[in-house]
Amino acid sequence: MSTALSSTTVPVRRRFKLGPGARGIKLLIPVLLLLAVFFLVPVLALLLRSIMEPVPGLQNYVELLGSQTYVRVFFNTFMVAGVVTLITLLVGFPTAWLLAIMPKRWSQVMFAILLLSMWTNLLARTYAWMVLLQQTGLVNRVLMAIGVIDEPLTLVNNLIGVTIGMTYIMLPFLVLPLHATLRAIDPSTLRAAAICGASRWQALRLVLLPLALPGIASGALMVFVMSLGYYVTPALLGGTGYMMLAELIAQLVQSLLNWGLAGAAAFVLLVVTLGLYAVQLRYLGGGRSGMGDR
Amino acid sequence: MTTPFLQIRGLRKTYDQVVAIDHVSLDIKQGEFMTFLGPSGSGKSTTLYIVAGFQEPTEGQVLLNGKSLLDVAPNQRNIGMVFQRYTLFPHLTVGENVAFPLRVRRRPEAEIKAKVDKMLELVHLGGYRDRLPGQMSGGQQQRVAIARALAYDPPLLLMDEPLSALDKKLREEIQFELRRIHQETGVTILYVTHDQEEALRLSDRIAVFSQGKIEQVGTGEELYERPTSRFVAGFIGNSNFLPVKVEKLGSGRARAVFPNGQAVEGDASAFASGSDGTLMVRPEQMRIRPGTAVGQELAVTVRDMTYLGDSMHFAVQTPWNQELAVRMAVRDGQGLCIGSSAVLEWDTQHGHVFA
Amino acid sequence: MLLDYDRLGFWRWILVAIGVVVMLFLLLPILFIAALSFGDSQWLVFPPPGWTLQWYEQLLTDPVWLNSLFTSAKVAVIVTVLSVVLGLLAALGLARSKFFGKSALQAFFLTPMVLPVVVLAVALYAFFLKLGLTGTLTGFVIGHLIIALPFSIITIGNSLQSFDPALEDAAMICGAGPLEVKWRVTLPAIRLGMFAAAIFSFLISWDEVVLSIFMASPTLQTLPVLIWSTLRQDLTPVIAAASTLLVAFTIVLMLLASLLKKGTRS
Repeated sequence: MSTALSSTTVPVRRRFKLGPGARGIKLLIPVLLLLAVFFLVPVLALLLRSIMEPVPGLQNYVELLGSQTYVRVFFNTFMVAGVVTLITLLVGFPTAWLLAIMPKRWSQVMFAILLLSMWTNLLARTYAWMVLLQQTGLVNRVLMAIGVIDEPLTLVNNLIGVTIGMTYIMLPFLVLPLHATLRAIDPSTLRAAAICGASRWQALRLVLLPLALPGIASGALMVFVMSLGYYVTPALLGGTGYMMLAELIAQLVQSLLNWGLAGAAAFVLLVVTLGLYAVQLRYLGGGRSGMGDR
Repeated sequence: MTTPFLQIRGLRKTYDQVVAIDHVSLDIKQGEFMTFLGPSGSGKSTTLYIVAGFQEPTEGQVLLNGKSLLDVAPNQRNIGMVFQRYTLFPHLTVGENVAFPLRVRRRPEAEIKAKVDKMLELVHLGGYRDRLPGQMSGGQQQRVAIARALAYDPPLLLMDEPLSALDKKLREEIQFELRRIHQETGVTILYVTHDQEEALRLSDRIAVFSQGKIEQVGTGEELYERPTSRFVAGFIGNSNFLPVKVEKLGSGRARAVFPNGQAVEGDASAFASGSDGTLMVRPEQMRIRPGTAVGQELAVTVRDMTYLGDSMHFAVQTPWNQELAVRMAVRDGQGLCIGSSAVLEWDTQHGHVFA
Repeated sequence: MLLDYDRLGFWRWILVAIGVVVMLFLLLPILFIAALSFGDSQWLVFPPPGWTLQWYEQLLTDPVWLNSLFTSAKVAVIVTVLSVVLGLLAALGLARSKFFGKSALQAFFLTPMVLPVVVLAVALYAFFLKLGLTGTLTGFVIGHLIIALPFSIITIGNSLQSFDPALEDAAMICGAGPLEVKWRVTLPAIRLGMFAAAIFSFLISWDEVVLSIFMASPTLQTLPVLIWSTLRQDLTPVIAAASTLLVAFTIVLMLLASLLKKGTRS
């Protein structure tokens, strides 16, 4: 009898208990109103414009999925997100592993660096890479000095720059949750594998990786989804020649005032994002997501 | 004499400044059930972990069949081990858990299947092959762990407090199983526990650990009847410790003088030198009878008595106000009641003098 | 063994090597920017030929930068207050009620966190164009509030979860009124969660770029918007100075948070 209506039908209880019932629901109203008016309505209105402007119909979606230019944007977006996820996993897994087992004094240092990097202003971090990766930047100069290359590589205003910058930003988002997964595994299980005769490789392949798989999968999914919708870093490091989806949406609105097409692109991004998160909730049992580009 | 099966030679392990074990030496015969018994932090687990290869000793040597184990990686040692927590692989079924050591040894599939069936039969879990560990009780999981540890016929099985997470009834059940498995397979077992009853029930021999050293090694009977230190006497079984002044008499005997001046003789083979000591007598070796003490007899007062079915338990007070425990058959306790005076006695060979 | 640091053998050194490289990868760009902000090279030559404070001087004497800094602070403070208050209400409401569709509502409250910000930014921009809220302080605050709220709700909700509601009943039986109970029992118990929510909200608003780009007007812009529009033109060292100040500010907030955590533990 602790449903929403119970306390109004059993008024005596309210004298004693603040607890369940209408009272709790009233507290939800301000946030509900705020999100309904300034979140749900605007987003739905934008999506609506995708099938209403310039004339009702699906022509915006046809254009978006039919035009070479826009398909290229989708391709760029998914490819960068995929590559970033892969690199982040390859370096992030050993890092999370180390973080989970090393002596506390060192892991605290690692934690501090991870958190500092995560909380440092996104523009500051992106700016750093713009400077580092430019033609006359430090990366090119060091590579030339040690003789790896003879003339400077083009590392910005293309997808290489975007990939480096995005990997930089996504790493903490993978390492921190994955570290928690690895910490939760009983080290004795790995000792048991060793005494059973498993070599390090066998223990890694047959025990550690399978046990860490839920964390790896949800971390990778999170990085992938966040990368799909990122705006700032791709826009600054990729330039206009190599556009990604979020930048396309912004451009369509700011420069071309094509709200219908922008709405359609937003809808596609929204469906993919929420769809992948739904997959995560359904099959990987949640796992807190990180933050968007802010 | 042939080389002992497993030799532990002068093992020493220090962490920073802390000495975990200090010159532990022990020989173990093939097929023996050897238990390391001691309180937590006594070094018994550290010794076991060095044999397993999870820790490296600061000094010393471990030899199996005369060959050093220390240079061999844990996965090459071919030793079986059962852990305190079950440490089954949670993502693998019971059958796959038992098959794991065989798979990593790349045995043929048919052999693996036959062996898994045989091992699950051995621990009476024939019908559980496709269960996941999470769906089983603690006792069942520990049996699977035993099956997994024995699947590759290791010559040596290490067990690190394997029953401490189970309740008493289950513990006794698996202790019984362990004895049967030990007899059926003939595997040499090194068993770590802090439970003296468990040690007595299971072991051929027991090594009692205290503060990083082995205090005494022997069969359960030897440790109980002829403890060589106050620690062993106190750790195994119940004991009364009476403060005494010791006067050595030679041939391993001594005169023990109580605080009230009365004296008895006792076995002092474990007493080195000095004058202050302790006389240990087991409660069931002591007798009391109603009456007043005369001459050298020890007068006590009954403070409490408890009926325990198969025996009576008495708490008696000595003239120097120490409370002692006495355990006797029910019929021998006739005529005693709380507050009555009594005479306390024991055979002199049951009194052990320690420093 | 794979999870025993001491017994990893040479794998340990592989892990350590990767870890060190990753840490340098994360840390060096930040240090690099800090070094450049004191360098006297207009072209961001590294290592700088000489040292100077001129970029900081430019930054702190330019009214445009100062105004944007002021706007950022103002927006962040308002957002922080609103986010903590509204987040507290929502977290209490969710923790203390049971009704059909509650988990759906909870998911709805958290959606702004998983939604790509650019979608929200474009949607709000269109909406605010109609309402005439673009380029206003209100516009900034509402936009930032929407994405800060989920973090507030989660953080305060977590601390409420470890708070036993029976304490409230106990206080009421002792004669405290409903409001007094909230004030004297509930709030003190979850104040750490509220403080964390405040720091989160502040940092989210303070660092927010995407929404702000769409909310800004030439006369009203936050610091990140100004950095963004400057960056689109050139890589002046003034931005290195601005970035360094932002990093320093972040470190101060992080230290504050960790000090507070330590203080409450002992």
